[in-house]
Amino acid sequence: MTAVDSTRPFSISVHAARLAYAGAMLFDSLDFALAAGQITCLLGPSGVGKTSLLRLVAGLEGTGTVACSDGGKLPGRYAWMAQQDLLLPWLTVDGNLMLGARLRGEPTDRTRAAALLQLVGLAGRGDDRPASLSGGMRQRAALARTLMEDRPVVLMDEPFSALDAITRHQLQDAAADLLAGRTVMLVTHDPLEALRLGHRIHVMAGRPARLDDALKPAGDPPRDPRDSEILKLQAELLTRLASARAATA
Amino acid sequence: MSGRAGMPAPLRGLIVAAGLVAVWQAVVWLTGVPHYILPGPRAVLDALVRHAALLAENAGMTAAEILLGLAIGTLLGGASAVVMDYARAVRRWLMPVLVVSQAVPVFALAPLLVLWLGFGMASKVAMATLIIYFPVTAAFLDGLRRTEPGWTDLARSMNASRWSALRHIRMPAALPSFASGLRVATAVAPIGAVVGEWVGSSSGLGHLMLNANARGHTDLMFAALAVLAALAVALYFIVDRLLVRALPWVAESGVEDRINA
Amino acid sequence: MSRTPLTALLLAALLVAGSAPATAKERLTVLLDWFVNPDHGPLIVAQEKGMFEAAGLSVSLIEPADPNLPPKLVAAGKAELAISYQPQLHMLVAEGLPLVRVATLVATPLNSLVALRDGPVKGIADLKGRKVGYSIGGFEDALLGRMLETHGLTLKDVELVNVNFALSPALMSGQVDAVIGAFRNFELNQLDLEKRPGRAFYPEEEGVPAYDELIVVTNRALLTSDAIARFVKVLEAATQYIVNHPDEAWEVFRASAPKKLDNELNRRAWRDTVARFALRPAALDRGRYVRFGAFLRQRGLVETLPKVETYAVELE
Repeated sequence: MTAVDSTRPFSISVHAARLAYAGAMLFDSLDFALAAGQITCLLGPSGVGKTSLLRLVAGLEGTGTVACSDGGKLPGRYAWMAQQDLLLPWLTVDGNLMLGARLRGEPTDRTRAAALLQLVGLAGRGDDRPASLSGGMRQRAALARTLMEDRPVVLMDEPFSALDAITRHQLQDAAADLLAGRTVMLVTHDPLEALRLGHRIHVMAGRPARLDDALKPAGDPPRDPRDSEILKLQAELLTRLASARAATA
Repeated sequence: MSGRAGMPAPLRGLIVAAGLVAVWQAVVWLTGVPHYILPGPRAVLDALVRHAALLAENAGMTAAEILLGLAIGTLLGGASAVVMDYARAVRRWLMPVLVVSQAVPVFALAPLLVLWLGFGMASKVAMATLIIYFPVTAAFLDGLRRTEPGWTDLARSMNASRWSALRHIRMPAALPSFASGLRVATAVAPIGAVVGEWVGSSSGLGHLMLNANARGHTDLMFAALAVLAALAVALYFIVDRLLVRALPWVAESGVEDRINA
Repeated sequence: MSRTPLTALLLAALLVAGSAPATAKERLTVLLDWFVNPDHGPLIVAQEKGMFEAAGLSVSLIEPADPNLPPKLVAAGKAELAISYQPQLHMLVAEGLPLVRVATLVATPLNSLVALRDGPVKGIADLKGRKVGYSIGGFEDALLGRMLETHGLTLKDVELVNVNFALSPALMSGQVDAVIGAFRNFELNQLDLEKRPGRAFYPEEEGVPAYDELIVVTNRALLTSDAIARFVKVLEAATQYIVNHPDEAWEVFRASAPKKLDNELNRRAWRDTVARFALRPAALDRGRYVRFGAFLRQRGLVETLPKVETYAVELE
């Protein structure tokens, strides 16, 4: 139920991305790529433009070419998960999961929704409204909704940053599982999260911003944070982030 | 959850009403104002009892005008807001009209409405509708235009058409604002109905008040006024309860409590 | 040495105090029943020709916002005089207001039942099943009811519609078939000017006892006031002037506020009102008040009335 269906994952290449904000050029002539079927994490100091770049890929802001390797367009083929859960308060959890279908006038799949809720650990909470769920549970519901869309591309903007450490860890595990085989761009400010989930990790720095070469940790996500390799890479990332911050100031 | 500590609202209301009556009686005693200018509570109560049937009949008439005006004004206002949100051109042209509808004192428009719509219920309903048109439309439009931007991004990602996003996300999201407008409308609609009656009618509490005033039956006039006030308050209470019932997620989110705390 | 200046000071003070009444005028506030119109002829003429001043009175004529308020304000002591209607006086006195009529301004009824001449109502009997417009004065149903009875109808045979002072427009637009409460000197001319002449039926010709349409009332506590007596005397002088010099009087009236008053309607209304001013304003027809009071009682508009002497007097 979670494996990507017959559509093969495709890569995305972004070319000449350009976005100005409040008079400053966030990035200009920026090129980068998202590998097919892999999770690409984007780290960087606040204000460098990570979210803006994500929104540019989604087609919400900025200019530039976003090309998919299978020749199709990206709009309409990605699922979106933001830092806020974006659950509609007047709908039940089930209703929120099936929002996409409702909006598109498609038939709703209750079974699939229930299965997804099970997978994110919200079994039986389908009839509750978001107000009765904790922050962590709501974000799980958001994750379930994102997966319900069943899109080959998933764009995520710091989806777990508002959660406590334990919940974050649990959701990272669930996400790594459920996102397998999709082309994912994950913006995060937590180097450990990037190391646990990312196949490739970029640090964004400077003004106008640039992406450094990708860090490619060994092994499949979700990775064990106690692993010595991971710890070494975390130190490396922290150094990169520090100089990134200096470069962006 | 929203557990309201303290005494229930109706009891609170009763105490406030009793307090107001006490103040009223005090004013009459202390200022010695003559009974034909301001009768005391006792005289008004007498009049209430003596003319109960007359008051009830006229109250029914006025109530009908208010309710119809509310219903039509709400529908019209809601539809206008949606149209204005959808088409920017419409918004540009309709907004000044909206403001004018609010700015022109209803007293000035009332005779025109009576001339066009006659002396029956139609002109009073039209007055009430007119007086609530702006609050309802403005509130709903405001709510529509303030949709959480994250939801717009989400709807985009889900390939929602503009209409679909409006129907499933933006309109429900704007309902709390709409409810605020509706509450204002409920408070103001009685004014429209009564002003309409003053300008030309043969029945209703407004008409009764004028009649009683002309004959020097000030106690009956105040009795009618009291009935009107009670009617307005009861209506507000009912509408408020209905709105709370209709929008359960607003109360659940506890936002209200946090704001009022 | 200090006595002489002191005495001089005292004398001077007494002189000033003594002479004060001679130059200062007594203030009287008169609350009109409606906006200034030819019905107020004597008041305007008296004002404009300095007759009040000559009698040592400083009179302010105030137009009301709410026509029902003036008598109440006089009763509450907020003004000295008000222009009111005899029927209204009866009803307010029945409610306990301490009002007293001290003069008559217009000594005939002005209230009439008016239909359009080219309309379906040729006689009162034609009103059966039709709509009659009124503006709230409080006693139109008594007048109308009595007039209908003279022709074998009752109030139940007509539908009363409150058109609230828009009498002529309501009649002309056909929203009502007749109006009660139209003043024969005013609304009839208004209809004429609009080329929709009216047909009038007069209450006093259809069974209603005759009454004074416009009277001057004061608070019972002020009855002994000399100023009020002088006011009534001035009223008589002004009325005499109008009777003797009707054209000049019209000039005086319209010149008092040309923008508001100088128009064709007022000119015609003036012509029709001149003959109706009370020639003897102070005089009281006691029988008239007794009869009309009984009439109102009979129609259920008042329950009891005190003796006429207590609310209608002739000042010496």
